Amino acid sequence: MLRKEVNDLLTQTDPGTTMGEMFRQYWIPALLARELPEDDCPPVRVKLLGERLIAFRDSKGRYGLMDEFCAHRGVSLWFGRNEEGGLRCPYHGWKYDVNGQCIEVPSEPEESGFCEKIKLKAYPLIKVGDVLWTHMGDKENRPPEPEWEFATVPEDQTYTSKRWQECNWLQAMEGGIDSSHVSFLHSGGLKSDPLFKGAKGNQYNANDKKPVFEVTESDGGLFIGARRMAEEGHYYWRITPWVMPSFTMVPPRGDHPVHGHFWVPIDDYNCWAWSFDYHPTRPLTPEELQAMKDGYGVHNKYESEDSFRPLQNKDNDYLMDRAAQKSGESYSGIWGIAMQDASLQESMGPVVDRTRENLVSTDNGIIMARHRLRKAAIALRDKGVQPPGRTTEHQMVRSAAKVLPDDQPFKDAMAEDLTVRPGVKQTSV
Amino acid sequence: MPHDSDDIFEADNATRRDRGPVDHPTMLSSCSRAATAEEARYRVQYPNSMTRSSRIFALDEAAAEAMYGITEEPWNDAHFLTLAARGKVSPDTRPEDLPLSRPDGAAASLLDEIEGADVVVLLASDGTSEGAAEVIARECFERRIMCAGLALGQGRSDAAVATVVNSMRRFARVLVVAQDDDFIPAMLTALRA
Ligand code: FES
Ligand SMILES: [Fe+2]
Repeated sequence: MLRKEVNDLLTQTDPGTTMGEMFRQYWIPALLARELPEDDCPPVRVKLLGERLIAFRDSKGRYGLMDEFCAHRGVSLWFGRNEEGGLRCPYHGWKYDVNGQCIEVPSEPEESGFCEKIKLKAYPLIKVGDVLWTHMGDKENRPPEPEWEFATVPEDQTYTSKRWQECNWLQAMEGGIDSSHVSFLHSGGLKSDPLFKGAKGNQYNANDKKPVFEVTESDGGLFIGARRMAEEGHYYWRITPWVMPSFTMVPPRGDHPVHGHFWVPIDDYNCWAWSFDYHPTRPLTPEELQAMKDGYGVHNKYESEDSFRPLQNKDNDYLMDRAAQKSGESYSGIWGIAMQDASLQESMGPVVDRTRENLVSTDNGIIMARHRLRKAAIALRDKGVQPPGRTTEHQMVRSAAKVLPDDQPFKDAMAEDLTVRPGVKQTSV
Repeated sequence: MPHDSDDIFEADNATRRDRGPVDHPTMLSSCSRAATAEEARYRVQYPNSMTRSSRIFALDEAAAEAMYGITEEPWNDAHFLTLAARGKVSPDTRPEDLPLSRPDGAAASLLDEIEGADVVVLLASDGTSEGAAEVIARECFERRIMCAGLALGQGRSDAAVATVVNSMRRFARVLVVAQDDDFIPAMLTALRA
């Protein structure tokens, strides 16, 4: 249960809100690099943290992200002409560079310098891995560039997708922390999904449906450990890291690529679910890549190529299949791991009313994450303290799965496994 | 229909395109309507749970100190208890012999306290209370009461915290290590204690 004020504080991210300011302290994913595939390609509308923006790539390959609307009379620059080093409004020809600076106002004498007085709000847009990242906060407090492992391994070892999720970011992210739903909701997927099936760990998962949870804090967020019975005197551990504000990773299975998510607010009723899959030491196989593109694992199928809206969505009741639900082929009747989560999270309503929930002890990962987010957001608001999760060091985490003797605490025994070690394979069962 | 293969989608895509949106008419109860902000205000407003009984046991001095700071808050049906006698408790102690006291100093009995409890939370800040944890956890286990352990790390070294965690690991279904004592009220509030 959360009091209404706290729920509002955590879920609202428009400019000027407490949580909105917190999100503005980080580099967050804004677009897939393939959305701006070449110089002078069409501009793309982006809405982030309740702000309408336009992204483009100019003639020299520089990326820009700025206020969507022309400073002259408010036309959307989505209609703009991307040419000769800037984005030109098609209405009266005003032209802007990647910094939002107006560089041409055709009606005014060039010598007047009028255009220098016109500047749209702009944010940096940088490419790291498959992703274009932005930092929407003050320049003076810009954190170091993102160094998440999925974005820094060689290109052929990683794949990222994104999907539009029609609900608040927090209930989506909480799904990434809540590992106790996996044995139920995804029980079908563990057996059949090409990016999940076949791992030895899956048997432990299936054999022990009542895991014991251990939640411990890390510098950047949390480690949520789930422990199940393994062979005599041993436990099978699965550790999910969460790094503030909204990065989660799924513990690996066998030699499958490792996956995880970024949950980014679009506005209070919508978010981007970013999903990545990478292998720390080898290229993804053609079969794996194809499975990802086909919507298996944490990815999904799309309604249309560039809508980023899932094929299964609220307008078609997520293609609910009651027969598959009844037979147990799919626990909820929804196809695909990603959409099993998304359908349920959207069903909670745009912003779930947490005053009516009844959490239990096994929800402690979620309870702790909310607690830390709230404290960090308030410390930033009231005392200007920079929140955790901004530094490279905090981002150097991995998920891991391992069988340990029953007297060993995971935090010590798996310290290395939970840290990025370039060139070393993920720890997995 | 085969659900673990692509066929369902190939087939479905084709039919969806052929039949168009009519395939999925939007009805009053469809997800597209039901999950809107507008519909959220029609949620049934009656309570969806009854009062929970929680029992919080502070197993050592510092844990009791941290717990006393919050016992005055308006809780639903939470009882706050400490070990009356300091020092090690043997795990073989009979439940009726475990010396417990309430915040006002009155004596309390373990068996009476956990009768009908929905959740038990063990608070510990050092590793000295393994015996007491075992006595309480054993009674919880017999009664199928959920037992959660909260290790308090505020101002303590990692090694010290590790001993606390180890002392509770065998007994708790959920174990949380909190760096700050303010997680105690946050957790109890979340659990509707
Ligand atoms: S069982 Fe968890 S939301 Fe219903
Ligand atoms: Fe899930």
